[in-house]
Amino acid sequence: MQEALAAYLFLLPFVLSLLIFFGYAFVRAIYFSFTDYNMFDDPNWVGLANYIAIFRETRFLVALRNSIGFSLIVTACQTAFALVLAVVLNNKIKGIAFFRTAYYMPSVASSVVVTLIFLWAFQRTGLINYVIEWFLQYWPFLAAFLALAAVLQLLQVLWDRSRGRPVRWFEPGAVLTSLMLSAAGVTLLWATGTLSPLEVEPVRIVWLNTRRSIPEGGGWLSLSMPLVSIMMLNTWTTAPTFMLLYLAGLQDIPRELYEAAAVDGANRWQQFRFVTVPQLKHITFLVVALGLIGSLQMFDQVAIIGSAAPLEAVITLAYYVYSNAFPGGALPRVGIASAAAVILSILTLIAVLIQRRVVEGNG
Amino acid sequence: MADARTSVNVPAATAAPETPAELERRNAAARRAWARAGLVYVLLLVFSIFFMGPFLFATLSSLKDDPIEWPPRIDPPQLKPANWVAAWRLGKAGGGSGWFGSFGPGAEVPFEVTYFVPDGVEPQAPIVRVPRRLPGAGIGAVRPGAFAADYAIVSDVVETGRKPAEQDGVTGQLVTYSFTIRHNGEDVVADRLPLDLEVPFRQTFHSATLAPNRIERLGRVQSWNNVTPGVIPYVFYNYTRVFQENYSRTTGKNLFLTWIGNSFFLAVVKVLTHLVIASMTGYALARLRFPGRNALFMLILFSMMIPGQVTFISNYLVLRDGIFGLSRLWGQETLLNSFTGVILSGLCGGSAVFIMKQFFESLPRELEESARIDGAGPATIYSRIVLPLARPALGAVAILTFQGVWNEFFWPLIVLTTPQDKFTLTVGLLNLRQAYGAVALDWGPLLAGAFISALPVIIVFLVFQRYFVEGISFTGIKG
Repeated sequence: MQEALAAYLFLLPFVLSLLIFFGYAFVRAIYFSFTDYNMFDDPNWVGLANYIAIFRETRFLVALRNSIGFSLIVTACQTAFALVLAVVLNNKIKGIAFFRTAYYMPSVASSVVVTLIFLWAFQRTGLINYVIEWFLQYWPFLAAFLALAAVLQLLQVLWDRSRGRPVRWFEPGAVLTSLMLSAAGVTLLWATGTLSPLEVEPVRIVWLNTRRSIPEGGGWLSLSMPLVSIMMLNTWTTAPTFMLLYLAGLQDIPRELYEAAAVDGANRWQQFRFVTVPQLKHITFLVVALGLIGSLQMFDQVAIIGSAAPLEAVITLAYYVYSNAFPGGALPRVGIASAAAVILSILTLIAVLIQRRVVEGNG
Repeated sequence: MADARTSVNVPAATAAPETPAELERRNAAARRAWARAGLVYVLLLVFSIFFMGPFLFATLSSLKDDPIEWPPRIDPPQLKPANWVAAWRLGKAGGGSGWFGSFGPGAEVPFEVTYFVPDGVEPQAPIVRVPRRLPGAGIGAVRPGAFAADYAIVSDVVETGRKPAEQDGVTGQLVTYSFTIRHNGEDVVADRLPLDLEVPFRQTFHSATLAPNRIERLGRVQSWNNVTPGVIPYVFYNYTRVFQENYSRTTGKNLFLTWIGNSFFLAVVKVLTHLVIASMTGYALARLRFPGRNALFMLILFSMMIPGQVTFISNYLVLRDGIFGLSRLWGQETLLNSFTGVILSGLCGGSAVFIMKQFFESLPRELEESARIDGAGPATIYSRIVLPLARPALGAVAILTFQGVWNEFFWPLIVLTTPQDKFTLTVGLLNLRQAYGAVALDWGPLLAGAFISALPVIIVFLVFQRYFVEGISFTGIKG
């Protein structure tokens, strides 16, 4: 009894703030969603009118579509990317701490800073277009490099095999030699003028201030170009956080499992597929859950991009809620905002539940 | 993939004297391990360019006169030591210091400029103007201050040298002119000395004492923001703009510095409240038995899943009414636009509690048991035994909270709206983005502002990165 009393004292500050700023707020949000509250007059009960109204409003439907598409694609991309990064980083070689730090950088800075940098990079004469133009100019070099490396690799492996050495097609030593020789070869071709950069039209892709969509003319299924740009940005900034989760998980996998798999003749890919991935199942659940929760709430990027992209192209549920609660000048539509917020939280809960089912079903 | 180390270990199993074949196999395995490490490094480097590249290039571009120039250069004049030396000398000549220049009484600024003049064109001396240019654009343009134009006296422009030269296959000559700009002696110091030079059409700019910031009107006009800059304002021009052009109209306070201060204040206070409350709550959840424990735990989990957009309207109203009128007790009618409101509405987050609970559960119980037998109560055990052991978890909570508060955007945007000197840095950056980006984006100060606001959290990360990693894996363990 005394222990319970002590526990309640320990918990008092947190529970108090949780009840006021979460419990009360959550209940009130549900209540507001059934009223016509506008922050000044007393709320009147209107039943389901707000829910019916938002589903008739195009802007809400666009926001809903954007949020769902954004969330699914970003979560899938960042989870896969995070896993790849973690596997690459899970090597015990010198200097790995440096790379871990470098990769984590986009996750450290605030979304505001990152979005500003992103806006800058996606300008018409920005970094992204420059990289694309550079690539269009120099792709023959890249192609020559890869082709030469492949040929050299083939020669090396055939040579070794003819001498009776059991080498694999992607023998690391041979790959390294091929890459280095190929780089030297391409440099030689460039110096002699056999290869030269192509003349290309200046690349001036408009990434943000555009109504284009991908794929073009796909109706409700196609995503707007600015939203796709924000997807790239978000994958880039959140993948490193999840990479750290995976890295922690990878280090907990017992080595014996890999050794046993190797004894059974599993190749590297099979080891990854049948040991690493199943062992990381609970981390994957966490990563996907956090990814869905985070990406469904996407707000900062839309607010910072502001007039740089058409609002219809980038609006998300979170921004829809905000813009109805604080419409700047007009009377707040708290009822509408709350109804959309409730739908946002239902969406989040459904997403987490479904994926929990999927993860458990797979095991 | 994950087992580079396994293949390194394979040859170590041999114990008996080796046959040549075994030796050969072992050498091959060792070579393979080295080569694989080499390939992994290549891959790691490619990824680092992907993650660090945009940041580094944005940082570099924040120094440029035009951060979206085409093609983007990696060697802007601001990074050339020759220009640093010139900026230092000119800063001193203008009457200021080498680090921070100005244009004051006694200034005598020598300036030299060289043009390429093709054969058949008669070289002409440039027209020298000290324009009454308002520093910056947008909100910066209304800044009062002395104009150097009112106090500058430009000497005659003298031709000081000619030599034959060739440029892009055209023969001609390089013609050098020099002149001096003096201060008229009135007791007024201008903080900068802008300069415009104009030459006839076919005469092209070649070089000058200080590289110009812009070349306009098809090359006829060369324009300098400041020819007596000193090193810092020359290299970090956009940074000085961020600080100088953002000041409060009502109080005259430097807004950008205020915003940094606000963010620091909120971050430090919130780190403290998180440390105290999260450790207490986490300890109770991990170790004490009480009715409702599971229900509370589920509620915390649930609160972490629900988006902030659901609760913010109610929380806004709660703060507007001063938390049910409680704030009147200390004389605040409303908690909107007040740091007290921001702090009270975010005393402690669910994930901080999570980290602490997770950590306390990993501690061996024996430590507490023996203290309990000695008659210590929960409060004593918590403060004397458990808390001193919790340093890694507390570090993780502190770091992650600092990062979270420093980067928080949505809630401060709603609560802190007026006046501008109540903003946090993230809200301030949105303000900058609107001020500099209303028509065409003025990228220099925007990138500079972004860099400055990212710097503290990057430094904290670099110094305490161990805690970052630990904290994030703590949240991950629960599964």
